[in-house]
Amino acid sequence: VSKRRILPTRAALTLTPAAVNQVRMLLQDKPEYIGLKVGVRTRGCNGLTYTLDYTKEKNQADEEVLQDGVRVFIEKKAQLTLLGTEMDFVDSKLSTEFVFNNPNIKGTCGCGESFSI
Amino acid sequence: VSQPMVKCCPQPRIPHAEGLRGYSSTAAQVEPAMPSSADEGVKLSASCVKRLKEIMEKGDYLRIHVEGGGCSGFQYKFSVDQNRDEDDRVFEQDGVGVIVDQDSLEFVKGSTLDYTNELIRAAFQMQKNPQADHGCSCGSSFSVKL
Repeated sequence: VSKRRILPTRAALTLTPAAVNQVRMLLQDKPEYIGLKVGVRTRGCNGLTYTLDYTKEKNQADEEVLQDGVRVFIEKKAQLTLLGTEMDFVDSKLSTEFVFNNPNIKGTCGCGESFSI
Repeated sequence: VSQPMVKCCPQPRIPHAEGLRGYSSTAAQVEPAMPSSADEGVKLSASCVKRLKEIMEKGDYLRIHVEGGGCSGFQYKFSVDQNRDEDDRVFEQDGVGVIVDQDSLEFVKGSTLDYTNELIRAAFQMQKNPQADHGCSCGSSFSVKL
């Protein structure tokens, strides 16, 4: 029996053009980092919250998303939670933030930072 | 029965009462001045002032508004406003200002407005609110101390 390889048909995480630009801008003067790492953490009133960090290396278990020349890694723990999520960047006068449009979530906190699946 | 009471009691009481009155009147003079200067306004942090200078045009103010909602009962709302109403209070610092209406001020007086800058998000945030008991993790919602 040949070992079947399961290939993903689409990326686990998609970035909007605004997010791609912002990630590129964040990384352009920091050559020591290879990309950003997205994760989830237990926090907030609705269970989970997203985390975002610079990363210097790709861990074995990380899922790599390469889009338009920028690289975003998804922590192993966050892969199921984030599957199919669109990462957007919203820039307004009062706040500039990455927004995750996640189809898996059941509920969010009023501010949108905390969510449950 | 009542006569001996009247005779002996007024004597020690009078000096004691005068002492109290003298003490309380001086205390009353000092106390009202303190909270009005320190605790009744909204302070702006350095990063907040810097950000407001970047985004605000002349005549623009950042309005802080407290309304019911959020997971902890109350939440802060921020908006850019040019109009000042009658019951608005303005707090200015280094040429930039925020407006707070009287009702909202009751909930935010003494707190500090900060502009937090993190990788995932940069936004205005109310901090060290003496009226807030505990808040949501994002800081946009809070419950009031009773």
